[in-house]
Amino acid sequence: MSKYRVSADIGGTFTDIVIEPSDGPVFVGKVPTTPENPAGGVINGIKDLVPDLSDVDFFVHGTTVGLNAFLERKGERVLLIATAGLGDAYTIARGNRHTLYELRYRKPQQLVSRRDVHEVRGRLSWDGQVLENLNHADFDPIIEKVRSEGINAVAICLVHSYAYPVHEIEAREILSKALPGVSISLSHEVAREWREYERASSAVMNAYIAPVVQRYLSSLQQELHEMSMNATVHVMQSSGGVSTADSARRNPVFTLLSGPVGGTIAGTALSAATDRPNLLCVDMGGTSFDLSLVMDGKANATLETELQGLPLLMSIVDIQTIGTGGGSIAWMQNGAMRVGPQSAGSIPGPACYGRGGTAATVTDANLFLGRLGSKSLLGGEMHLDHAAAASAIENLAPQAGLEPTPLAEGILAISNAAMADAMRTITVSQGVDPREFVLVAFGGAGPMAAAFLADELDIQEVLIPKFPGTFSAWGMLQTDLRHDFTQSFFRAAGDVEIEDLNSAYTALESEGRATIAKEGIDDNNISCQRSADMRYTGQEYTINVPVPAATDIATIIGDFDSAHERRYGHSSPGAPVEFVNLRVAAFGEIQKYSHTDSAEPENGDVAIGEREVIFDSTRHTTPILARDKLPATYQAAGPLIIEEQSATTVVPPGWEIEVDRHRSIVMRRRSTE
Amino acid sequence: MKSVDPITTEIIRNAFISIANDMNATLIRSAFTPVIYEGKDCSVALIDEKGEVLGQSLGLPLFLGNLEICVKLIAEEHGWDYFKEGDVFYMNDSYMTGTHLNDSTIIMPIFWGGKRIGFAASRAHWLDVGAKDPGTPVDSHEIYQEGVRWGPTRLYESGEPREDVIDLLRRNSRFGEATVGDMNAQVAAGRTGEKRLHALFDRFGVETIAVARDQIFEQTEMLEREAVKALTDGVYRAEGYLDDDGLGSDPLLVKLELTVSGDAMTIDLAGSADQARGPVNCGITQTIAAARVAYKLLICSDVSPNGGSFRPLEVTAPERTIFSAEEPAACGWYFSSLGLLIDLVIKSLAPILPEKAAGAHYGDSMVITVAGQDPRNDNRFYLMIEPTTGGWGAYDGGDGESSLINNVNGSFKDIPVEIFESKYPLQLLSYGIRQDSGGVGKYRGGNGTYREYRVLADSDLFLWFERSKTTAWGLFGGANGLPPNVTVERPDEDTLELLKVNGIKVCKGTVIRSLTGGGGGFGNAVERDPAAVRQDVVDRYVSMEHAEKAYGVVLTKSLDIDEDGTRQRRAEMRIPAA
Repeated sequence: MSKYRVSADIGGTFTDIVIEPSDGPVFVGKVPTTPENPAGGVINGIKDLVPDLSDVDFFVHGTTVGLNAFLERKGERVLLIATAGLGDAYTIARGNRHTLYELRYRKPQQLVSRRDVHEVRGRLSWDGQVLENLNHADFDPIIEKVRSEGINAVAICLVHSYAYPVHEIEAREILSKALPGVSISLSHEVAREWREYERASSAVMNAYIAPVVQRYLSSLQQELHEMSMNATVHVMQSSGGVSTADSARRNPVFTLLSGPVGGTIAGTALSAATDRPNLLCVDMGGTSFDLSLVMDGKANATLETELQGLPLLMSIVDIQTIGTGGGSIAWMQNGAMRVGPQSAGSIPGPACYGRGGTAATVTDANLFLGRLGSKSLLGGEMHLDHAAAASAIENLAPQAGLEPTPLAEGILAISNAAMADAMRTITVSQGVDPREFVLVAFGGAGPMAAAFLADELDIQEVLIPKFPGTFSAWGMLQTDLRHDFTQSFFRAAGDVEIEDLNSAYTALESEGRATIAKEGIDDNNISCQRSADMRYTGQEYTINVPVPAATDIATIIGDFDSAHERRYGHSSPGAPVEFVNLRVAAFGEIQKYSHTDSAEPENGDVAIGEREVIFDSTRHTTPILARDKLPATYQAAGPLIIEEQSATTVVPPGWEIEVDRHRSIVMRRRSTE
Repeated sequence: MKSVDPITTEIIRNAFISIANDMNATLIRSAFTPVIYEGKDCSVALIDEKGEVLGQSLGLPLFLGNLEICVKLIAEEHGWDYFKEGDVFYMNDSYMTGTHLNDSTIIMPIFWGGKRIGFAASRAHWLDVGAKDPGTPVDSHEIYQEGVRWGPTRLYESGEPREDVIDLLRRNSRFGEATVGDMNAQVAAGRTGEKRLHALFDRFGVETIAVARDQIFEQTEMLEREAVKALTDGVYRAEGYLDDDGLGSDPLLVKLELTVSGDAMTIDLAGSADQARGPVNCGITQTIAAARVAYKLLICSDVSPNGGSFRPLEVTAPERTIFSAEEPAACGWYFSSLGLLIDLVIKSLAPILPEKAAGAHYGDSMVITVAGQDPRNDNRFYLMIEPTTGGWGAYDGGDGESSLINNVNGSFKDIPVEIFESKYPLQLLSYGIRQDSGGVGKYRGGNGTYREYRVLADSDLFLWFERSKTTAWGLFGGANGLPPNVTVERPDEDTLELLKVNGIKVCKGTVIRSLTGGGGGFGNAVERDPAAVRQDVVDRYVSMEHAEKAYGVVLTKSLDIDEDGTRQRRAEMRIPAA
């Protein structure tokens, strides 16, 4: 009897589904996303692929419900409660500018307008002394306003609560008694770190998306239950771990970026399976591409991020978005050729989409040159109009003083170089050299550009994973439960006794173990990772350093020095160091099937045709291969076009491929001797 | 000469900008001090073999378009052959670089196949360069009090560090290790630029890059000249006053005459104050840079700067003014003069660029410094330096932003209350947006900021607040914003009202209340949509009284618009005073 592990990545347009049976090869599906009822699309997609939903053992999904509510500003009206005298810290938003050459600069639009920020008296000192008791009477007008205006969500951020939450907890007691049913987000529960603006912003984001995410999760759980799927519903978190839906409901903000991180986590799984420690993961769709790094087998993470300029303090896989993609438009400016930053998006889209677009785009150039076929599928069921692409290119060519073919190649050359430039700058700012990385390309458009990006970046090896169009969803099946816990610990490292440090960690770990156990994991399958945010005294920003369970302070300081050297290119051994936060990530191992998925390919011819493709101004009669027919160890030399349902891989002349036992395509530059 | 196709030219153009971005990323990644890696008080440029900018990352605006002038100054003095392979130059002389001595300019010539092909240059603010007081003294009257002054000096020769020179740098800073750390970060940025420029030359060769570069400069110049040509020809003037020179002088005049003639623009600063005794002077190089910032804010703002960008613009000033200072003028707080100059250039162009201009903003940094010994921390020395935000000018179609850092600062962020109180023996009593401080208008100037500190241990207070004489002006009938104001309430002593001071004692229990100015309004206040005024009252940017008095919008107790009252009040306001 087959059992199934199932994941779903709910994107803006399509929902990708990956099914891992207990006794057979992985298979995938793609269904349109149903924005009006996000749960509906997922359920229909799974039902098509799994005959009996009661056979599903494990279900995880990435959702953009919270993110979309934020991006479209359709979340809940939130009232923010702050410390008397300091409520404007939220609106002032630290007073900085994100762009420097704007006379008409406006700060990012906050989720709570100033009229809904209310102050209450009650003050703690920096070291936790109560300077003034929390003033209960100050809550009366707030309660009255919440009632009379029908506000459903309240966020509370009081000064110094990251270390001393007593007043926040007291405030919740007052409010929950008076306002049953109103969702209350406490800043120290969402982000237990100092900096009141960033913490308030995180708590507000949580409050803002909580009701919509909670409604969605409840309806998904209920509908699945009605269809006899009894597996626990799991949700991907921005941190790269998963949590149960019940736990996600408590702090929905942790699921905010749950979709895109799947790709990076899939990268870490690929890294382990293929023994390649450093990967540059490129997820390319129509309008932009996401870049993330796997270093030493681990997803590169960060502890804070910004969305549309609004800060969020939480553990999150570091994904950088670069605004170039297949939709980028080629145009002329005073005799100079430009590609982007304007994009045709998906509507009207490139000229070849036949949706009314007339501007020449990167996708049109790919089609014009034969790199894409008219019947190639860009992650959907779409026929591409070669004539429309050709006419867009031909219209632009005279303005550039070029023949259409060199113009089309030129559009790709400019866009590839610009993407590579942006990628290189990101690696430079991380202190790593792209040449030490293997490029992993996925998403609908990634495999088409991969070899060219590798050429620009002097990268020797490219991996195109199996099912590149649903790689993110596959990644979600490779992960474990995760919850993060933080405690502020602002102390000079030289003054800290190891016992104090250990007892603080032990407290965080028991909190972590209890949380994971509640999600149904045996204690044997729970593990914890300790880390500390540290810095040299006088620095503002910290580095997160792993802390082994048995260690001493001197070793931790030494590890910090090395981490500083790696990150910033220098360190100051012997200089005073301080702790700022202690962190514990608690993991609950999720049982996975033990078989590998290196199933035999489908029968049939590998070569399914050939077409004229232009590389380096030369027409090449290029074989078209069917991806799902390629057996492991298959080798061939470019030029090649490899097509599959959700992506097209372009192997230019001078590159060769080999299919590995996981049925990833490994592309390498042919040695020139 | 061979021609280069537009594809190759565009790839090379993008590469120039990308190289500058990589240099900037390297500098920020490896800098030692937060003022660089967090405040982004730095700038880099990739420059060609004759001193023209190939690519620049948009770092600190005030450093825009002046690194290449430093390269040319060295060449003027010593000839181009003075630059040898393996050299790295350091300079901070205010009369050459234009800025204060803390700003370190590091220039590295780049060679390829034995031939000079360009320069990698960077500038970054160093925390301390050995001035008489920590950081930048507020009462200096000679440059010798502001730190050690360096002409172009080799830090590296034939690729080898000159350890004796670097040691001299280290010994002349209160934070010597950080200084050398930041120097190394700038050298590393230069090496990144060198490595990537080499790769570009390996790929395209000297000739192709030279032709492409000329095309890029020409294309940029053409865009810029078209934009200038579209402006109405004429002579445009603006003037304003600095409060004083920091040493109690009379107000100092800043005056400019801007001429648009065809596709060229000149800015002449004749009539501006003579070189001052206090530290508000700067070298002409930095004056040119500031004029370029103002120009860039209004013209072709989205075009990445290169050697063609500023060809339509000429900047002139007579000798020995505050904008063309000579030895031994003090330059420590040079940016106050330049901040005013930038705002005035925008003001002068406003009549012909109403769709781009904005009312003036609150001015420059408004820096408050408190120093002393922290009893909570073994009486260790502490130094709290804080720039303060304020209101920005309104523009056609929008209100000015409130509580935003000034135009001449970088990516500064305020110090959060929680960090502030943990680090310093000071308590923040209140912090917020200063109601009614923005200039009224059809579009409202942004409000300034209040920040109120209680001193918890005897300390010294330093202040540098400006623009109380020439407050942020409005445009097209918009009103000026309120000026800044600082009060110091000392227990058992008189309350002081101050804007600039160098180290007065503030004992435990003193309360310092700083208010920064608002931005200028745009258009006539009686034309402001009453609904927008009501929103401002609901959001507490404007008080009910001010709404009625200044905007003529009468609100009921429940904050509804009293239509009749408003009509009547606005009719009264429209009658010009006899």
